[in-house]
Amino acid sequence: MTIDLNPLSEAVIKGNIQAATQETQKALDGGGDPQTILDQGLIAAMDIVGQRFAAGAMFVPQMLRSAKTMQACVALLKPAFQAGTVSSKGTVVMGTVKADLHDIGKNLVAMMLEGAGFTIIDMGVDVLPEAFVQTVSEKSPEILGMSALLSTTMPAMKATIDALKDAGLRDKVKVMIGGAPVTAKFAGEIGADRYAPDAGSAVAAAKELLQTS
Amino acid sequence: MQLISEAQLSAIDKTAQRILERVGVKILDPDVRDRLHAAGNPLDTAKGVVRFDPSWLEDHLARAPSRFILYGRNRRHDLEMGSGRVYFGNGGRVFQIHEMTESRVRPTLLKDVAHTAALVDALDHIRFYIIACQAYDLAPAHYHLNDFYQSFGHTTKHVMGGVDTLKGMRQMVALAAAIAGGPQALRDRPFVSVMANPISPLTLDAETLRIMAFGAQNGIPLAVAPAPIAGATAPASLAGTLAQLHAETLAGVALVQFMTPGAPVMYGAVASTMDLRGMDLAMGSVESAMINTACVALARRYHLPIYATAGLSDAKITDIQAGFEKGVSNLLLGRAGADFIHLAAGMLDSGNAIAYEQYVIDNELLGMIERILRGIEVNEKTLGFDTIAQVGPGGNYILADHTVDHMLSEFFYPRLAVREQFDRWVDLGRPTPLTKAKALVDQHLKEPPFRLDPDTVDRLRKQFPQIVDP
Repeated sequence: MTIDLNPLSEAVIKGNIQAATQETQKALDGGGDPQTILDQGLIAAMDIVGQRFAAGAMFVPQMLRSAKTMQACVALLKPAFQAGTVSSKGTVVMGTVKADLHDIGKNLVAMMLEGAGFTIIDMGVDVLPEAFVQTVSEKSPEILGMSALLSTTMPAMKATIDALKDAGLRDKVKVMIGGAPVTAKFAGEIGADRYAPDAGSAVAAAKELLQTS
Repeated sequence: MQLISEAQLSAIDKTAQRILERVGVKILDPDVRDRLHAAGNPLDTAKGVVRFDPSWLEDHLARAPSRFILYGRNRRHDLEMGSGRVYFGNGGRVFQIHEMTESRVRPTLLKDVAHTAALVDALDHIRFYIIACQAYDLAPAHYHLNDFYQSFGHTTKHVMGGVDTLKGMRQMVALAAAIAGGPQALRDRPFVSVMANPISPLTLDAETLRIMAFGAQNGIPLAVAPAPIAGATAPASLAGTLAQLHAETLAGVALVQFMTPGAPVMYGAVASTMDLRGMDLAMGSVESAMINTACVALARRYHLPIYATAGLSDAKITDIQAGFEKGVSNLLLGRAGADFIHLAAGMLDSGNAIAYEQYVIDNELLGMIERILRGIEVNEKTLGFDTIAQVGPGGNYILADHTVDHMLSEFFYPRLAVREQFDRWVDLGRPTPLTKAKALVDQHLKEPPFRLDPDTVDRLRKQFPQIVDP
């Protein structure tokens, strides 16, 4: 049998969580194949969202709402998959650095990465270098993402990278940094792997670092 | 035409009070939280959120002074807050500088603190100095001793700065007291002030509260200035952002009065908007200017002097966009009668960068606005009936005494705007405001005077051996 996935795609594009989760459940109940629902219903919708955003026809809040809608649908699909058949693109540990409480940029990046299929461990704000190190050691993420809004807290990024080195973990994780005062040059100076100027480029950079698509 | 009506202001004010009473403010210092709770404000311990009792709030807001002076080290630079006068100044604390002659951007250094202070000292329409930039060449241990030392060293205008830590605040106050001739002398004429800013939405950091308390106890005037971004850290509606900002500022002002009744504090407003097409901060947006303008009226409702915002631009370089964005907001805020308008000079790139030339250019714009604020003088002499009768139909006024009597007081003479006749302009090498500004920067920074006398410098260097040269 064929299931019409267009209403699901439309709901994801519109960012209507209620309609999208209902459509997902309907498709599952109707015997739909989870992989097909994922590929043709959800990912196809997010491709359109991406195109419309790139063309300036959708704004960031709309894109994020679609990403959130997709996450809710994926959560419904998960039990239907055989264990291990839906794999994460990778795990990203994130936080704002020591003494920096400004987290909107970090939260945006986390949402975008999650929407793109990464698993996020969000450590919140004001994260001490040793706390980052401990989490990297325990969770073995592929990427550590640090954010700073204040020029005065930027040095904590270097301190964290140095602490990773001291703990012998620097080679085990890729380090991405961002935030208003941060620059590519600064990233180079402190030995980070990547700098991303905004949430959209953070996703592209994360994929590039892990060589996934 | 009014930007906002009394009824609209009243609705915003009421909503802010509802926010404080029902939503509350997250206070990250448990001690302050407990003291507020003990004073009768409901506390949600798990969330660290204090909700404000309306009568407590009203009592504490009433303690804030409606007039005070931000002193200059030179008395002619005293700023009378709450007097109805409008003062424009620069803003801080950026991390990069455009070097136009080199066509490059570089991180800011201690020498840039010294140079921007010297420029502000030399430029008449920039009435106070805010420490303009981060000094990347300064070690954290004695950071604020040094950025404030260079500021005092290069201007006698009122100096304001942000401090990162209570330790830094202590260093600054010790230095300022030593310059003043003791703590009491500093208390009598505080020539330095500090901003202590809530984080939007509705959050007050523990270290900020400690800095606030120390400043209030030591007679250092404060600005409590949240910087909500409409569409990101505040609602996407202008009225919603105003309500939230108003709540944040009122909470901060009341807290200062709770710590030290009567402490001089400014109602701060640093509103901006987010361009939601790509999540780009839009500090030069027309809505930012509108929100900041409406805040002047909100501050006035509480008889509080305002630390207002204008003159920001999202332009990356000194260009047409920088000109029109700065022009619109500076004029709106100036016309609204804001007491203390910061960020009005030197800034580029959404508040991320400065350029020396931009200080000189903005000084000219501010001169024009000050001229507007001075208004049109109408009296027997300026109406000029006698000279009109004397010249009569068909004559001219070039040689009239009346012209010579009034030509200096009536007109603002720009130093940068190009007014020469076209051929003359070509002969001069086609100067622009930017080329003229570059020449003036060179002139002002060639040998800027050091504004502390040699004996004081000797004394300070002995007392604070951690002072370094840029």
